[in-house]
Amino acid sequence: MSRGNISLAALLWLVIAFLVLYPMSILVLQSFKIAETDNWGISNYLGFFQDTYYLKTFGNTLLLSVLVLLTTTLFGVPLAYILARYRHWGKTVFTALILLPIVLPAYAGVFAFIIFFGKYGTLNLLLMETGLFKTPINFIYGIHGLVFIQSLHMLPFIVLGLSAGFTNIDPSFEEAAEVEGAGGFRRFITVTLPLCTPSYLAGAVIVFLWPFTDWLTPMILGQVDFLPSVAYINIAYHFTDVHRKYMGIVAVIVSAVVCISLFLLARWWVERKKYTGLSKGTTSEGRVIEPGPLVKLSAYLYMFFIAGLVLLIPIVLGLSAFSRRWVFEPFPTHWTLENFRVILLETPVLIQNSFVFSGIALLFGIAFGLPAAYIIVRTRVPGRNALDFVITLMLAFPGIAVGVSYLLGFWKGIPLAQYWIIMPLALFARRLPYFLRMAHSSYLQLDISLEEASEVSGAGKLRTFLNISLPLLIKGVLVGVVMFFIMAFQEISTAIFLYRGGWETLPIGIYLNWHRGMEFGIAAAMAFLMIVIAFILLLIISRIAGGILKAAWGPGGT
Amino acid sequence: MAFIEIKNLFKRFGKVVAVNHIQLEVNKGEMVTLLGPSGCGKTTTLRCIAGLERPEEGDIVIDGKPMLSEGFVQPSKRGIGMVFQNYAVWPHMKVFNNIVYGLKIQRIPRQTIQEKARQVLELTGLNGLEERYPSQLSGGQQQRVALARALVSNPKVLLLDEPLSNLDAKLREELRFEIKSLVRRMGITSVYVTHDQAEAMVISDRVAVMDSGNVVQIGTPQEIYEKPANRFVADFIGTMNFMSGEVVQVLQDTDAVYVRTEFSEKMLCTTPDTTATTPGKKVYASIRPEDVEVFTEPPQARENLFKGTIVHKAYLGNFLYFFVSVDGTMIRVQVPHYVPQEEGQELHLFLNPQKCMILF
Repeated sequence: MSRGNISLAALLWLVIAFLVLYPMSILVLQSFKIAETDNWGISNYLGFFQDTYYLKTFGNTLLLSVLVLLTTTLFGVPLAYILARYRHWGKTVFTALILLPIVLPAYAGVFAFIIFFGKYGTLNLLLMETGLFKTPINFIYGIHGLVFIQSLHMLPFIVLGLSAGFTNIDPSFEEAAEVEGAGGFRRFITVTLPLCTPSYLAGAVIVFLWPFTDWLTPMILGQVDFLPSVAYINIAYHFTDVHRKYMGIVAVIVSAVVCISLFLLARWWVERKKYTGLSKGTTSEGRVIEPGPLVKLSAYLYMFFIAGLVLLIPIVLGLSAFSRRWVFEPFPTHWTLENFRVILLETPVLIQNSFVFSGIALLFGIAFGLPAAYIIVRTRVPGRNALDFVITLMLAFPGIAVGVSYLLGFWKGIPLAQYWIIMPLALFARRLPYFLRMAHSSYLQLDISLEEASEVSGAGKLRTFLNISLPLLIKGVLVGVVMFFIMAFQEISTAIFLYRGGWETLPIGIYLNWHRGMEFGIAAAMAFLMIVIAFILLLIISRIAGGILKAAWGPGGT
Repeated sequence: MAFIEIKNLFKRFGKVVAVNHIQLEVNKGEMVTLLGPSGCGKTTTLRCIAGLERPEEGDIVIDGKPMLSEGFVQPSKRGIGMVFQNYAVWPHMKVFNNIVYGLKIQRIPRQTIQEKARQVLELTGLNGLEERYPSQLSGGQQQRVALARALVSNPKVLLLDEPLSNLDAKLREELRFEIKSLVRRMGITSVYVTHDQAEAMVISDRVAVMDSGNVVQIGTPQEIYEKPANRFVADFIGTMNFMSGEVVQVLQDTDAVYVRTEFSEKMLCTTPDTTATTPGKKVYASIRPEDVEVFTEPPQARENLFKGTIVHKAYLGNFLYFFVSVDGTMIRVQVPHYVPQEEGQELHLFLNPQKCMILF
């Protein structure tokens, strides 16, 4: 290995140490500080686990995770099966619609569902107009509402993993079971599903962890007794009671520990369980069945149902964005562009900030991600696997933990939080794995002999990278760039702790307008704008990358 | 002095020793093949010559210049051309740009580049395909592009890493001869890696047979086939009957020995190395199937004449193939002419002592 590679790796480690390891260790350190003294100890943890309230929030979060996983599995298995195995019209459209929530911010979904399913939302008003119901039905306020909204948001991760699993199974495995006499359902239970467990589990762990990271959805729905929400409230509103701040920090750490350990456990299990078949007989679309008319009809209805729920989000937000005072009416009556006028003309700084911060974060991401992918895939520098590991762990690290640790780490000591650069830096650290993964997987697909051939032809390392590697990597890199940008653009969990007056981004604007209560239309218009921007970017990637889109996606989220 | 000298080369990957202190010399204008089963270290050796691997020990001298002992020489500075197993033709460049890539890096005048490209396109039969992308070419054409790219700058050394293994059998045979005559015409010193013994026989001036990181034997194709150094080489190149046995008597002043095998007390064989052959030594009496002579009627009595039963008989067009059991030992026999005997019937085998060698 050359000296150049080692110093490059050292530089990358320096960045990781400064932007990831340092703030995280400050976070852990702070959790052992005893409030209003200079002493250290585990009393915060003892206090947390002896307090019945915090124990309750932990229990609630765990329950929510179990319920969300059960719901997504129950709805996701048939959906994935239909998408992967039935030959039907509109496969691409339905797949795209069902996967859409990955790029919709969770909070946008909550707003839309409050407007549609709320106590005096569209559905309740319509039901009461029919006269069948006198009082509104509580569709969403409560744990059932949380399960519903979070499940819809996380459904794509189950569907994505499972349908890839169903498609990639060698048809001969199932044919062999068929020849042995196993009928349809039995074959599905005994052969198909077990073979898909690794790909199911990869998605399931992301779904299960979501309630441990999503603080905003419960808060918007007025349900605060969940670990991340409690953490947020304690840290954001600890002016009067310093003890609460430390309880908040402990809550953040407990969430992070749960997330990281489950993530690692699942990863280890999937690695161990990976089934390898000898056969090469798979077709690109796998085993596809022509269903009977009745089955086909039910499959269509089912897909329409799910796709309809997903589509409600942009439709309702769109209606709300273009209207004024939409309350106590099933549909808006006053149409206006006022909301957009406010966003675009009165407070253009929000949009500007969003673009600037995400853009700078993206530049950092590229400057870090490409060399990191190179070091991990192409060199034998010691510590490269550890680098990969640390960056992958960031996938499981809750956004709120990144935000809090940046707040603690860059306030005193290294006072970076006083400068706006902290915003793009935090976005960069938070979304690092997205870009790296795409660059990494395209690097793995790039045959090394293409680069070797260039070196043999007389080109140096740098020239080889510019002339050969980069042009061939560009597709995967661009997909990574766009995904990174969408995710950074929607990021709220880290930004909410770090922004100061004048640094607000669109997601923060949405949160603040909701918080003030009266400006629902503006919040909706901002959310709608974000969806439109994400959509345009997605169209661009699908033009560039086509099929790559479906592969290699990690967890999304606020 | 040889044009390429590989001195005491040693390369390991983790705990696995890929190349174990090998010595090899390639003369100017010569084509040497590294032949062996997969994992024998042949490709690693080639990649060490190219500079794509860094060996732990040893040196490689090309045209008098050491590549390792006086500081590592980067692949880009070694003046070599290389053809990769999967061609490694850059998919984002047209054929012409693929070929002239190296020339452009050397900042050769445009006029000269055009001229050289034209020549090499002519040589490799790629005329008219300059403006195509690799995806628009067949496997054989991509192979020619890779060859043209390696040859265009008149490299001192041409390295070929199983260049034909991804092509179908017909094309492979055709291209063997083509590469051989092309390289010979240009007089380039070349090292060719393959696991296909037939390919090695056709293409090489000399063959180096490798096994588990060692060079087991170096010689012309004829030497390798007719005088294999050991059981491994004899088994890897062509087919050989091995009859395990023990030396019972060494005949003075000749290269003949008597060997006791499972079916014969005294079988007369020749030995390549009289000094290493002493009574009691375990050896293999070995003979190629085509060297076994067959008699349907008992011939005149002589040494090494055995009676056996036909277990299998196969008709392969240009010859007949028999599995004959001699007291339980299976001997493969290949005869170019018709033999009426069927399976289950008897056959007399004469294992000519001149052709029957002992191996270790």
